[in-house]
Amino acid sequence: MPSIIACFKWVVDEAYIRRSPSGDLDFSAVDYKIGEYDRNAIEEAVRLKETLGVKTIAITVGLPEATKGVKDALSRGTDEAYFIADSSFGNLESSQTAFILAEVIRTRIEQYDIIICGEGSSDLYAQQVGPRLAEKLGIPCISFVQKFSIGKDQLVAERRVEEGIEVITAPLPALVTVLPDINVPSIPGVKDTLMAGKKPIVKITKDELPPIGQPLLRTVSITASRMERSCERFGTDAPEITRFVGSLRKKGVVG
Amino acid sequence: MDFKFTEEQELIRKNVREFCVKNVEPIAAEIDENSRHPAELFEKLSAGGWMGIPIPQEYGGAGADFLTSIIVVEELSRSCSSTGFTVSTHAGIMCMMILLFGTEEQKKIYLTPMAEGKRLGAFCLTEPGAGTDVMAVTTAAVLDGNDYVINGTKTFTSNGPTAGTYIVFAWTDKSAGRKGMSTFIVPREAPGLRVGEHFKKMGLRSSQTSEIIFKDCRVPKNNLLGKEGAGLPMAMTGFDGGRVGIAAQCIGILQAALDESVRYSKERVQFGSPIARNQAIAWMIADMATDLSAARFLTYHAAWLKDQKLPFSKEAAMAKLYASEAAMRHTIKAVQIHGGYGYCKGAKVERLMRDAKITEIYEGTSEAQRMVISGIVLR
Repeated sequence: MPSIIACFKWVVDEAYIRRSPSGDLDFSAVDYKIGEYDRNAIEEAVRLKETLGVKTIAITVGLPEATKGVKDALSRGTDEAYFIADSSFGNLESSQTAFILAEVIRTRIEQYDIIICGEGSSDLYAQQVGPRLAEKLGIPCISFVQKFSIGKDQLVAERRVEEGIEVITAPLPALVTVLPDINVPSIPGVKDTLMAGKKPIVKITKDELPPIGQPLLRTVSITASRMERSCERFGTDAPEITRFVGSLRKKGVVG
Repeated sequence: MDFKFTEEQELIRKNVREFCVKNVEPIAAEIDENSRHPAELFEKLSAGGWMGIPIPQEYGGAGADFLTSIIVVEELSRSCSSTGFTVSTHAGIMCMMILLFGTEEQKKIYLTPMAEGKRLGAFCLTEPGAGTDVMAVTTAAVLDGNDYVINGTKTFTSNGPTAGTYIVFAWTDKSAGRKGMSTFIVPREAPGLRVGEHFKKMGLRSSQTSEIIFKDCRVPKNNLLGKEGAGLPMAMTGFDGGRVGIAAQCIGILQAALDESVRYSKERVQFGSPIARNQAIAWMIADMATDLSAARFLTYHAAWLKDQKLPFSKEAAMAKLYASEAAMRHTIKAVQIHGGYGYCKGAKVERLMRDAKITEIYEGTSEAQRMVISGIVLR
């Protein structure tokens, strides 16, 4: 039976990040969520399931505490979940995540038609996991997708690019990374959430995987953005406007 | 003691919050101002399965435990206490009474459409001459062939104008005293049922409240809920769960008052600094947060006891008493913190204060709760 895989990441909910008086970021009271665009990916998979009658699989790589995220994904309508977890998976890079996903999909899931990823994660937004995963699996990747449909053995996707909309066809199996324009995720009902834990979850540990490559990047720091205000006030009469323009010139904002 | 919610309960709370931000918050002020029942919102609540949360799935509900339904009521009430109240009493009392005391046929005919949100329920006990003194009820039901014929007037019926199914309490044998009242399921279409005067209220204005008049109202005798004479004990059982629901409504109101007060006090600058830096304001907020926490734990504990099938009448009364008085006390303070702005239409705290008052009155006044608690403690 054809199946659709939706990838998601359990990320810090940025609404709970606080800024300490010194300007440092305070993560002590954070909650977690499925990344915004990943929700769109799961929603799209579930909608296709309803129209095409296919099986949907949610897959994620993360810390063992992310069980709530797996239940969240299942409560949104996916049929089963693959949860690859280890306590060292808290800060994986895109290259490592893509490697793990590719390994599991290739060896454990095997048969699939479409993989749907969010365009980027809600935390780092590197936008790399989707394309890297497609490359490792040797399947076509279409990014910035705002709409797509499935034909016989192919998919037709609309990409939103700077110049306009590109329409691309690709043979199946294929991978798409989706933009939030693609759908509005439904809010799971109470029944959906209660039934989620009863659906099959395949748990995979780090030991069951081949060695994961070393990170290629080193995060030096993560700080809050600062907005510097010079707090100059200008009036609206002609001399004041002249002074305003002069100030912009001095700062190099206007030529 | 495990004070943690389950992962499912945490996810459900988040989902309700998201639902509220998208669907309830944008209309809460308008439906209060216009005393409007938002049918479009209740369709969404019904479609999302939010109307029968503690009712088993085989009868159209979500099959969740009572504590989960309390979480949902709390979050709904945080955005609009009329909506939270309607969902709470509909599922927690009206649906629950048919679940606990109904025959399989009654559950199929009446409970399932209610749990699915297709028909709203209404509870008809209070009368113009009978509030806390339930024995002063005069509505009577007489068996006539295959029907009961009901005559009387009920008042302050929440969902009166909008309900499809009424749970009605009437004497079948006045001489039997506390064992002489019976309960009936009366559909809206029953001949002789009329919706009377609609009440214009200080608060909870979106919840529709009216008289219901029964004049030779006929229902088949199969619509007797439970046994003849069991009405009062059934009502008391209904109230226990209902009280925890009101307590949940109150903690939603309190949380909203706290959210507004914290936000406003950090933004409002007087004498060169935010008023949150003033000890008087900070202490008001400290008291608000503390009483909210206390009300929370009383409420969750009462709900937990019910889920464990342990007696919870005392705890339900305590939760309702404490949470309602705290909600009133602190919404007054929330208006005070907001100053003149808090007194004007458009400020959320103005609506919260008006909404809080009724929680000290309905589902048993604070005085009645004290009677229940002292009656148990002084045994």
